[in-house]
Amino acid sequence: MDTFLQLTVSGLSTGMIYALAAVGFVVIYKASDVINFAQGDLLLFGTYLIFFSIVQLNLPWTVGIMLTLLIAVAMGLLIERVVLRPLIGEPIISMIMVTIGLSSVLRALANALWGPQPRTFPSFLPDGVISIGTAVVGFDRVLAIPLGLALLVLLGFFFRRTRDGIAMRAIADDQQAALSMGISIPRVFAIAWALAAVTAAIGGMMLGNIVGVSQSVAAIGLRVFPVVILGGLDSIGGAVLGGVIIGLLEVYTGGYIGHGLNLIVPYFVLIIMLMVRPYGLFGKPIIERV
Amino acid sequence: MALGKRLSRVFVRIVTIICGTVLLGCGTDDASDEGLRTIKIGAIFDLTGATSDVGVDYADGVRGYVDWVNAQGGIAGHTIDLFYQDYAYQVDRAEQLYSQFVQEGAVVFMGWGTGDTEALRLRITEDQIPFSSASLSHVLGDAVESPYNFLVATTYSDQFKIVLRWISEDYQARGGTGAPQVALMHNASPFGMSPWVYGGEAYAAEIGVVVTRYEMSRGATDFTAEFTRIRQAGAEYVVFQNTSAPVSVAIRSARSLGIDATFVCLNWCANALLMRLVGEDAEGLVGAMPYAPLTADVPGVQPLRDYLEERGESYTERTNAYTQGWYTFSIFAEGLRRVIDAGQDLTGHNIKIALESIRDLDMAGVTIPITFTATDHRGSKGLRLFQVENGTWTPLTDFLTAP
Amino acid sequence: MTMECGVFHTTYTSDIALRRVPAERLRLGLFVIVVITFPFLASPYWLNLANQIAIATVGAIGLNILVGYTGQISLGQGAFMAVGAYTAGLLTLNFGLPWGASIVFACLVTSAIGTFFGMPSLRLKGLYLAIATLAAQEIIEWVITHWTGVTGGTEALVVPAPQLFGVRMNTDFRFYWLVVILASATALFTANLFRSRIGRAFLAVRDQDVAASVIGVNVFRYKLLAFATSSFFVGLAGALIAYYRNIVSWERFTLETSLFYLAMIIVGGLGSIRGSFFGAALITLLPALITNAGRMLQDSAPAIASQLPNIQQASFGLIIILFLVFEPKGLSKLWQNVKDYFYVWPFAYRRGEGRH
Repeated sequence: MDTFLQLTVSGLSTGMIYALAAVGFVVIYKASDVINFAQGDLLLFGTYLIFFSIVQLNLPWTVGIMLTLLIAVAMGLLIERVVLRPLIGEPIISMIMVTIGLSSVLRALANALWGPQPRTFPSFLPDGVISIGTAVVGFDRVLAIPLGLALLVLLGFFFRRTRDGIAMRAIADDQQAALSMGISIPRVFAIAWALAAVTAAIGGMMLGNIVGVSQSVAAIGLRVFPVVILGGLDSIGGAVLGGVIIGLLEVYTGGYIGHGLNLIVPYFVLIIMLMVRPYGLFGKPIIERV
Repeated sequence: MALGKRLSRVFVRIVTIICGTVLLGCGTDDASDEGLRTIKIGAIFDLTGATSDVGVDYADGVRGYVDWVNAQGGIAGHTIDLFYQDYAYQVDRAEQLYSQFVQEGAVVFMGWGTGDTEALRLRITEDQIPFSSASLSHVLGDAVESPYNFLVATTYSDQFKIVLRWISEDYQARGGTGAPQVALMHNASPFGMSPWVYGGEAYAAEIGVVVTRYEMSRGATDFTAEFTRIRQAGAEYVVFQNTSAPVSVAIRSARSLGIDATFVCLNWCANALLMRLVGEDAEGLVGAMPYAPLTADVPGVQPLRDYLEERGESYTERTNAYTQGWYTFSIFAEGLRRVIDAGQDLTGHNIKIALESIRDLDMAGVTIPITFTATDHRGSKGLRLFQVENGTWTPLTDFLTAP
Repeated sequence: MTMECGVFHTTYTSDIALRRVPAERLRLGLFVIVVITFPFLASPYWLNLANQIAIATVGAIGLNILVGYTGQISLGQGAFMAVGAYTAGLLTLNFGLPWGASIVFACLVTSAIGTFFGMPSLRLKGLYLAIATLAAQEIIEWVITHWTGVTGGTEALVVPAPQLFGVRMNTDFRFYWLVVILASATALFTANLFRSRIGRAFLAVRDQDVAASVIGVNVFRYKLLAFATSSFFVGLAGALIAYYRNIVSWERFTLETSLFYLAMIIVGGLGSIRGSFFGAALITLLPALITNAGRMLQDSAPAIASQLPNIQQASFGLIIILFLVFEPKGLSKLWQNVKDYFYVWPFAYRRGEGRH
């Protein structure tokens, strides 16, 4: 029972971290139907930017976080304008490839600016562990849980109550109709990317604390796919739930079975979901069938 | 799409110009002309890829040595011309670069990882190019299988055996009864499996140590699952065969779980980088270091420190990969020196024979004296164990050799 | 497609010929001459590159059949090549099969596995299929590294070089002929495939699968056939790598490989055989070009030279982005533009075309 509790607690916090990474992905897809293969690299930039602000510029952490978010917004806008806007209307394979190209460029840029050596920054989250019964979990990890939930609530509010959020959903639903209602598609796309970059930056900050500031942060980007397919590509709540489920599955497999299977279990889940319910637990069922 | 068409034309012209200049530029250097006073060496490094965290230091070590030795007049009057490129741990690029450098006249090739060393193994035998690799997998040192590969540091399996023996002694010294339980956490790759597969398993059985293996998956953010199992198995020692970044995540996971085991790192995580990443949690960490770090108190690191200080760089930030790079090349330089002194031609074959004649080459305390023979290309079978005390790696034992 | 002036076809054969105009035949002839004389003039380094390009062409054509011609996105290229390579290698090592039989078996096995992983295409399109193939890539990679009994796990396999009429193909020069012949055969097969009924069915599935099913094309069956055919050639490419490099290891066939091949066909031009070749050539040569450019700059602009590794990595992404933004139809379109330019020279455009 002890083991189970420990594994569950770890799985929840790891899952929330995946969810944080996945949310940005969902935001972009929700607004512009683009699959962002560069999400992991946006996370990477988030991590390096906070390192830059706090360690290299020596700012207090509140200012550092603000600066990181600002730069993230700028990056999101820049990427949308330069790379995505010319490709509106192109087939999906072009969209996928362009984000793959972007991923490569971002990684090289991060390497050029900060070098390949892993770095650390002083933890701006309190150190130490929390005990839940017999289970222990690092405080910095467990923080991902309320953070993820907060993001979920905030983004839910954004999409349901604000003009831009509703505009985004309108565009995702029917671009022509949205255009005829006077919604500016480029502006909405820009907001979507800025938002995604911001969530990636937040996720990156958390990850930087946990795994350190290094290129391995970008590898999380690949884990995102099983999460969003499970949860539904256009559902933020789905991303959170999906993240938690995948996190728990991984940890249980690792804890009870081993053999490195915990790497592959998410992909099995992915395939099963794709065969059974491709639009995920909460996505909208508009997958084109043959 | 007028813009597209115009840009296409411009694009085509630019591409043609680039290709033209490049085609003119390459393929014309052959091994002749200045070959008498320069020695061409080819090298590939991982500066941006998966192992770049230690790859950069290694590369700097190699280049540092070349710079240093050239400044002193070269090797027996010959300057070293080092051709090097980053290959980002991509095997295809490694092969391309190998072809290119060999065609341009390189007589020795400095490789890096398991992937490229394996891939080039047969070609270097055919081309007769002595090859050094930073990958320390046991099989690469078999002179019959790979007559042109040379390993200048203790193989992973030898490191593991030394560590196992130390663990067994330490366990008994602490009053432990029965067989010590050890967990081997390793990278999911041939590099990770190497200590186990090439003799670690057999030796563990021989001395009565129980070892359980745990794979560390790429990009994992958390090792709670593994450590829960480790705790259940009652393991008191955890040996890491991986690079510093994932090991730092593991150690932090373990500490927050309150795991009370002794952590031992094999050479690719036993370095200053790991200490920086883990911070205070590194206290008590044991490391197997075939090559001494720059902070150690051995005469051999002095020239390196001087060299770095001259260039205004701090040597405390460098890991022992720097030392390894530097001294790896120095060993090959010794082989080159012997060929030149014997008045022979600088061919791959002669260099190989010269290297195989090296016996007990003194390494000024940086590592144990190096010996190569015609059948055994594993130059070193010993290492020192260090331990983290008050934030620095301090020597724990003297030189131990593999059983 | 441009209308050739003054060329009249009076038989079906000449109408559907692969090279319909004397100018086209001349160009093909020139190309063949270059390909034949190249190995005698080239240095080992260039031969090495040529072999790599030829193998990549085979793989790219295979991928293009699936992605360019049938519109199914696949991220599993690396894994399928691994299947081809390991099958060929294992058959030769463990069963002593002659390399010819090994290659054929490898292609068939890869074809079967490709068909299996193509089954999600029944219910999935576009991006979902892409993600399913991503899962296939990761799963196959995991199976290869963990099925130690069969594949040797993470250890590399050593595969002896093939023997043709008693001559061991272990030099670049000899292997060149083997690879070029196979690559030409692949190209010819594919060109003919898309003149045939099956090929047109593939194209129909890509363009309007609903309309295709209305006119009687069994979409699912043709999608599976596309996966099978594509995987056959991808397996061939994998097997060739096994024999060329003589060492098979999983590190060569990762997701990055899949992305490289996708880049090749995007940059080269989707749905075009010469595009596959151009793309394969460019992506293979790109690192070499940058390396050499960097070395030339080493003395004049050392700052750039020191950033060279990052420039190399970024160049891959940049070239994809640049092509997608400026010329989505790739190098084959650029080539077409060049041909058109000479076709109407010294005029700027044909009468009736207008400035556009």
